[in-house]
Amino acid sequence: MDSILRVKDFLDDSWRISLQLRLVAGEEALGKEIRVGDINRPGLTLAGFYDFFAFDRIQIFGLGETAYMRQLSDEQRRRTYDRFFSYEIKCCIFTHNEEPDELFIEYANNNKVPVFVTRKDTTRFSSQITLLLDQIFSPSVTVHGTLIDVYGVGVLILGKSGVGKSECALELVERGHLLVADDMVIVKKIDESLLIGTGSPVLTHHMEIRGIGIINVQEIFGIRSVRNRKRVELVVMLEEWDNSKEYDRLGLEETSYPILDIDVPLVTVPVRPGRNIPIIVETASLNQRLKRVDIHSARELDENIQDMLKSGQRKE
Amino acid sequence: MTEREIIVKSDAGVHARPAMMLVREAMKYPCSVSLLKGNVEADCKSIMSVLGLAIVSGSRLIVRAHGEREKEVVQAIVSMIENDFRMS
Repeated sequence: MDSILRVKDFLDDSWRISLQLRLVAGEEALGKEIRVGDINRPGLTLAGFYDFFAFDRIQIFGLGETAYMRQLSDEQRRRTYDRFFSYEIKCCIFTHNEEPDELFIEYANNNKVPVFVTRKDTTRFSSQITLLLDQIFSPSVTVHGTLIDVYGVGVLILGKSGVGKSECALELVERGHLLVADDMVIVKKIDESLLIGTGSPVLTHHMEIRGIGIINVQEIFGIRSVRNRKRVELVVMLEEWDNSKEYDRLGLEETSYPILDIDVPLVTVPVRPGRNIPIIVETASLNQRLKRVDIHSARELDENIQDMLKSGQRKE
Repeated sequence: MTEREIIVKSDAGVHARPAMMLVREAMKYPCSVSLLKGNVEADCKSIMSVLGLAIVSGSRLIVRAHGEREKEVVQAIVSMIENDFRMS
């Protein structure tokens, strides 16, 4: 997915508050687009090493960079900035509340490069901005399903239209679990093992229940019944009961469902009237939590039985 | 699989009622039907999914169907959008 971030987005509440940024130059260039979700420390570049200069990344000036720039003579400083600003710099951010010198501001304004200052220290700032950038630039996919936090496990309920995903989610919410998104879940791959699901910003925590229509889950069940994002850790596939199909009776074999090339543990649950699906989803979540701490109920029972059978054989 | 591209002309965009009309139409067919806007794909049999696309006047959509009677449903959905959701 082609994601675009504009420099002015840094001044939106969600970014400004967590990054504590204040604009000091280049206001007219705030519309600049950032297409690379990485950051660069330009220390080596300022010192004259321009090979591999990642000029299209966000440039972070820490204490090292500002100290280096401060000890330059006026002549050296002018030469350094001439070369640095000859590249198409997207934006510069100074950490530790260090204001750039006047000449830097002049160059930034002339070359239309927005410059920000943050009170935060470089390490913390770098990790926070990287997290925010990851959320924007990570690959994403829209999934037709319902994401719900069940006992702390992010469960993505999938299945054909009309199989009862929303009804199942509604009962889970009623039982105290937290709805993330219904019907349209945007899943982002933050890294090689982490999928984060959110809802569509248009739909927020609304849900369609056949027979009632559209309801607002947060209004009906309160703020404690919803959350905005959750890691996707388990897929529950609801399907209509098919007598000709063999369903897993042991749970010894683990199946998975691929989302953005990550294999998410999968449980396939056949639905038929009278079957309490929410309690099955709750149990699947708890079972998944046990597996996280390396307790596999089916495997352990099987091992115990095998041990007993072996000792029985010896006695005979 | 059958696909058709269409540009939405309806001034009000696809709000709740038109969304419901699209879903009702799609539900009449056994195949899977989806609407694509940019790289977001919505299930045309789900109201929330269609609403979540935030389709406005000028939105470019792809109507995609897969399975039994796919050609018919794509035609039905496309003409519904073309006729600005007026019942014929």
